[in-house]
Amino acid sequence: MYYVATIATLITMALALVRALQGPSVYDRVLAANMFGTKAVLLFSIIAFLYGRPDFLDLALTYALINFIGVFAILEFIRRRPNDAIEDDVTKGDVNDDNVVGR
Amino acid sequence: MTIIFGVFLLTLMVITALAIVHTQHLFVAVILSGIFSLLMAANFFLLDAADVALTEAAIGAGISTVLFLGALTLTGEAERYRSSSVNRVVALGVVAAITLMVIYATFDKPAFGDPQTPVQQHVAPWYIDTTANDIDIPNVVTAVLASFRGYDTLGEVFVVLTAGIGILFLFSATPTRRKKPQTEQESEVESTAEIKFGEGLRHFLIPQVVGRLLIPFILLFGLYVQFHGDYGPGGGFQAGAIIAAAIILYALLEGEARALRVIPQWVLTGMMAGGAILYSAVGVVCMMLDGNFLEYSVLAADPITGQHIGIIVIEAGVGITVTGVLLSIFHAFAGRRRF
Repeated sequence: MYYVATIATLITMALALVRALQGPSVYDRVLAANMFGTKAVLLFSIIAFLYGRPDFLDLALTYALINFIGVFAILEFIRRRPNDAIEDDVTKGDVNDDNVVGR
Repeated sequence: MTIIFGVFLLTLMVITALAIVHTQHLFVAVILSGIFSLLMAANFFLLDAADVALTEAAIGAGISTVLFLGALTLTGEAERYRSSSVNRVVALGVVAAITLMVIYATFDKPAFGDPQTPVQQHVAPWYIDTTANDIDIPNVVTAVLASFRGYDTLGEVFVVLTAGIGILFLFSATPTRRKKPQTEQESEVESTAEIKFGEGLRHFLIPQVVGRLLIPFILLFGLYVQFHGDYGPGGGFQAGAIIAAAIILYALLEGEARALRVIPQWVLTGMMAGGAILYSAVGVVCMMLDGNFLEYSVLAADPITGQHIGIIVIEAGVGITVTGVLLSIFHAFAGRRRF
């Protein structure tokens, strides 16, 4: 049964990865990354029981507690940036001068 | 079955890595590298390396994303596109040659999980046998890291400290070049931006409530990982990263300035050096008690208790240094307005 659950989780992870790779908008990717983190928590839990070592659940707990900090950082980042060009993938011409100055 | 899972995860990793290289939008690259780190941790976990997976989890899931985004705020989001076709062909040739060499080299490697490999025959059985008698803690990884190879870990702590000093050194330089004359309107925009910078997500209710609720639990879990490292996966490195993540969460919610008021920079600098000094001090105390440097057995009348005391104290030193360095790096990024 654990094997079936593992395979199902892995397939879900692959699907989330497809969404993260395809986009099209940045928000899709953020959501996909978040989804991927959640599935990783599940995968860790299942594997911990699959190996018969439930004390490894610590790892899943770490992810569950820490994963969303990255999402908060993304929120803060989006709020901070001067232009609102996040609707679609920014290509070369899409970034204004102010943004490029620092490099 | 484990092998199939592992190969599947590794395939996903290769795909993600190629996508990171391919994309020119650095924000997307940051998100994908977060996914890459998750896959890496899952692989470590499949291979039963829970301590390493925990480190990857603590650093990769939270902190590296935050630091990457901090760097992106200072620079820009799009990769500058410059390459000639000649360079590309040369690069492709070099990479292809190295790939073939590495693949060729793997033919000589022992099979996955083979107990007869030199790695499993050399010191590993000795560690496993000796840990039960001499140190008496269930987690052999912690025993190896903190006691048998205490010198290596001391070196690692100093490497972390040096890296922190290097980054603070780089960021302490004030940029003088590339400053363009500002019109009035621009400077006005800048000042409103600075007000916005300092606030964090203070005015957003849901992140506020959820985040504030979770910070104490993350801190508690960090302490658990710190002091439970003898018995389960964990230890100073992981705990330092988790505690730093909790403070970074506070900084994201309340603004970086408030986080600095809670733990000022001089405290962080003190933590950076203090942890390393604490670790070294344990070694010196051991020498004063007629032992060798970092020979914890002399710390108490009973050698096993001495080992336990030594491991707890040096792990605390590791945790303090890692927390200090990670938070200092975060503040160095977040406290800067412009590159």
